[in-house]
Amino acid sequence: METLTRASQPKLKLRGIGKEFVLPRTGEHTVALDSVDLDVARGEFLCIVGPSGCGKTTILNMIAGLAKPTSGTLTIDGKPIEGPGADRGVVFQDYALFPWKTVRENIEFGPRYRIGATMSRQERNERVRQLIDLVALNGAENKYPYELSGGMRQRCAFARALANEPDVLLMDEPFAALDAQTRVILQEELLRIWGEDDAGADRRTVVFITHGIDEAVFLADRIVVMSSHPGRINEIKPVALPRPRKPEIRADTRFQELVEEIWQLIRHEAYAATIKA
Amino acid sequence: MTRLADSHLLRAAVLPVTLLVVWQLAVMLHTPSPRTPLPTHVVETAWTLLKTGDLPLALLQSFGRVLAGFAWAAAFGLVLGALMGTYRAFDRALDPLVESFRPIAPIALLPLAILWFGTGTPAAAFIVGYAAFFPMIVNTIHGVKSVDPQLVRAARTLGVGRFTILRTVVLPGAMPYVFVGARLALGVAWTSIIAAELAVGAKAGGGSTGGIGQMMFVFYAYSVDLNGIIVCMVSVGIVAMIIDRGLRRLEYWMLPWKR
Repeated sequence: METLTRASQPKLKLRGIGKEFVLPRTGEHTVALDSVDLDVARGEFLCIVGPSGCGKTTILNMIAGLAKPTSGTLTIDGKPIEGPGADRGVVFQDYALFPWKTVRENIEFGPRYRIGATMSRQERNERVRQLIDLVALNGAENKYPYELSGGMRQRCAFARALANEPDVLLMDEPFAALDAQTRVILQEELLRIWGEDDAGADRRTVVFITHGIDEAVFLADRIVVMSSHPGRINEIKPVALPRPRKPEIRADTRFQELVEEIWQLIRHEAYAATIKA
Repeated sequence: MTRLADSHLLRAAVLPVTLLVVWQLAVMLHTPSPRTPLPTHVVETAWTLLKTGDLPLALLQSFGRVLAGFAWAAAFGLVLGALMGTYRAFDRALDPLVESFRPIAPIALLPLAILWFGTGTPAAAFIVGYAAFFPMIVNTIHGVKSVDPQLVRAARTLGVGRFTILRTVVLPGAMPYVFVGARLALGVAWTSIIAAELAVGAKAGGGSTGGIGQMMFVFYAYSVDLNGIIVCMVSVGIVAMIIDRGLRRLEYWMLPWKR
């Protein structure tokens, strides 16, 4: 718990989270998550890794307010999470951009339509312009999602999630559909935008789900390693690598040792899941 | 026009022109009678009807009724379709009603329409609206249901309320299907206006209900002019094509993301 002392109260608090699904056809019960306890500190970059079916996306959906736990409680700033809200931005794996809206219309969607939106058109335009600069989509403002490359779509989805200025960013394998080079570049971009160079308290809290162990080690302050059947937390690994992290850090022995350590934690299940599938 | 388009047009015209020539020759080799329409006479009649303004007026009247009927069909179809596509309760309550009325041909409502609305525009517009309602609602329901649920989830995480999501995500997402519905609806509306006016015209006798269907009835029952009937048929086809092209243009312009 030492890593949590840098913020007085955790931003997100999950206590005894369980989730059961009932298959409608067979009536069979599946335990997707079993008593998960997790604190996420303010400004922390937390990665969740684990084999397919360990319930990582379910956890993210619960924090987003899109799914409810069968048992246990989730709180943000001490208040229970009862549904989605503009204080938690989500970047989906498939981006979920509105295909009939241009890049700038997608980005301004939250500030424009969210409940209690008060921003004037000028403020909104200014915000969108800043975000487009931030994610380097200049020149693509009036393009539709189908006209963009995968990496550009990703950045657009990211800017859309940031437009509400959420305290918490939830990212569900955001780089999974991209090619390896784009992924590496966007990982560095993500750390820059997250504010790696700023003081910890000014940063957003990020919960980032990934299949890539090296991705998790490169990005995270702590890595939650999960196991499946039932989904639960296997181990939480702090990442002691210094920030700001440069690409060269991947060659560091500490980096590689940590990747190997985490791989050893999940490899049996990963093999089992792959062979079963 | 390019050379390529020219040659396409030329090739497309070969068969119809040949048929027209054969038709003309076949009739001329036998004794012409008022019962056998002749291409040259059809053209003559068309010219006269255009010059007197009778044909444009009749088409305009029919088109007005189609638009009136289509307008209420589109309004009801969109609202009910959106509700049925979004809320299961609406779907359960209304689906049996919609599906049991759908197989009833619009023309079967004619007796009711005439008794309720008389033999004028309201009766014709009612029939047309009834016909157009079903393609509109069925396609709207399908469109709303086919909107990617992930987009709705995305909107919810952006803090947007339910009703705003219906307006800004569900309806725009359903638009491609709504346009399919609108094209089908205008098609059947235009088809059923002829039937409705023919029948209403029959009921009204040679009276002044107007419209292209009634014009056909007059040619059929009073002047026994088959050339006139052919003129009406051809102009109905041309107007239908123009309506469809217009809608496609509108769709192209309104849904730039679907190009």
